[in-house]
Amino acid sequence: MSEFLMFLTNGLVMGGINAISALGVSLVVGIMRVINFAHGEMYIFGGYLSYQLAVGAGIPPVLSMLCSVAAVFLGGLAIEKWLIRPTYGDEMYSLIITFILSIILQNAALLIFGPYPVKPPSLVFGATNIFGLFHYGNQRLLSLALAAGIIGAIMYLVRRTWFGKSVRAISQDREMAAMLGVDHLKVNMISFGLGCALAASAGAIIAPIFPVTPSGSGAVSLTAFVVVVLGGMGSLKGCIAGGVILGVLENLGAAYISTDYRHIFGFIILIGVLVLRPWGLFGKRI
Amino acid sequence: MKPVLEGRDVSRSFGGLMALHRVSFQLFEGEIVGLIGPNGSGKTTLFNAITGVFPPQEGEILLDGKPISRLKPFQICRMGIGRTFQIVRPFLKMTCLENVLVGIVGKDEKGTSREERVEQALLELEFVGLGGQSHRLAGSLTLLQKKMLELARALATRPRVLLLDEVLAGLNPSEILQALHMIEAIRVKRKVTIFWVEHVMGAIMTACQRIIVLDQGRKIAEGPPDEVRSNPRVIEAYLGGADA
Repeated sequence: MSEFLMFLTNGLVMGGINAISALGVSLVVGIMRVINFAHGEMYIFGGYLSYQLAVGAGIPPVLSMLCSVAAVFLGGLAIEKWLIRPTYGDEMYSLIITFILSIILQNAALLIFGPYPVKPPSLVFGATNIFGLFHYGNQRLLSLALAAGIIGAIMYLVRRTWFGKSVRAISQDREMAAMLGVDHLKVNMISFGLGCALAASAGAIIAPIFPVTPSGSGAVSLTAFVVVVLGGMGSLKGCIAGGVILGVLENLGAAYISTDYRHIFGFIILIGVLVLRPWGLFGKRI
Repeated sequence: MKPVLEGRDVSRSFGGLMALHRVSFQLFEGEIVGLIGPNGSGKTTLFNAITGVFPPQEGEILLDGKPISRLKPFQICRMGIGRTFQIVRPFLKMTCLENVLVGIVGKDEKGTSREERVEQALLELEFVGLGGQSHRLAGSLTLLQKKMLELARALATRPRVLLLDEVLAGLNPSEILQALHMIEAIRVKRKVTIFWVEHVMGAIMTACQRIIVLDQGRKIAEGPPDEVRSNPRVIEAYLGGADA
């Protein structure tokens, strides 16, 4: 029993990470109708920059994490302004641009950081006894808490703030929002930056537990897309539910069936959802 | 008197189709001007040109004497041009209050406090008769209420000129009467100049002081309703020429 609960908790930790990464994709797709194929690279850069700043430059781990996410956010703003903005009006161009960007960034990461997995230092050490059932690593618990905090912050941003009102208006009817004076260029740029920053924060949070490598970016993008489709396009709740479901299933499947098939379980669920409920768990039926 | 909104030789084509050909017009403070013409005559294209959705390729559009045709739609809105659409487009998944707040925030990003913004939004809803509906989802409103919500939202951007695209379409006679009262109230109480596309001829001929007629992208007539109604070119545009 305690073993099962531990696998479940592992699943929750991965689920939280999946959710924030997928929220980044969903935000960008919902507002800009742009699919960012370089999403996984942002995750990798988040992890690597955090490692480099902490180990290479000797900055305290918490600060290095924040700096790496901030750096990727700024990078995202620049990418939107100079690469995505010129493609407005034809979604195919942005698709190709982000695809190329993904290849360039992945190879840049290989050149700059090398092919070896890196692990930034943990923020906390030791383990906590969970209700007397099992011992669980503090770093993992912290990761779960951080992911939950970020999810909460994004929900607050979208639901309660003025920026969020503009975001929701644009995602429902871009042209109408412009007619009401909403500066969609600014909202687009900030949203893209936020999408990248969310991927980077997922990478930076999980890297001390599961090391990042440049070649892992494809799987990260894929997982994020799977979660978005699973949860339903355009639904933030769906991202969270989809992320957790995927994380839990992959971990339980890996524990009780086989680790070799870890990533297969997610795709089986995805196929099931696409067959029975193509609009996703929380999406709108089309 | 200087016009509030002026178009000078506005032209716009899509591919080989000349959707607007050297259309000029002037709207004066407090006026209500009708824009009519058969289907495909360029009425909505002219509105799209004014609001920057499809900017004119030639010619100039001026608001209070300042050229606006190189600006982006959101900037044109902030300069003071509001618009409603033929097919209502409220943000369905937002409440009425939130819908109006989008307009207020859009117009003035910084500045006023949350309380002031909400208060202004509630006043706008009150003005169009949606006072008690502020927390209802826009998707659950009736057609007339949705149209009123669109008006409230457009008014929230504090426009100098309001472009109405077939607000009466789909309404029954008693609803048309309510909508007409509202448009008159917007013009008189809010001192907004109105440029109005409509297919309900009876209504637009009674409500407007001046009518502009488009046909195949060109302005073919302009004047008081009676004069326009008896203009042979207008009759020909609507009913077809003798040789057609």
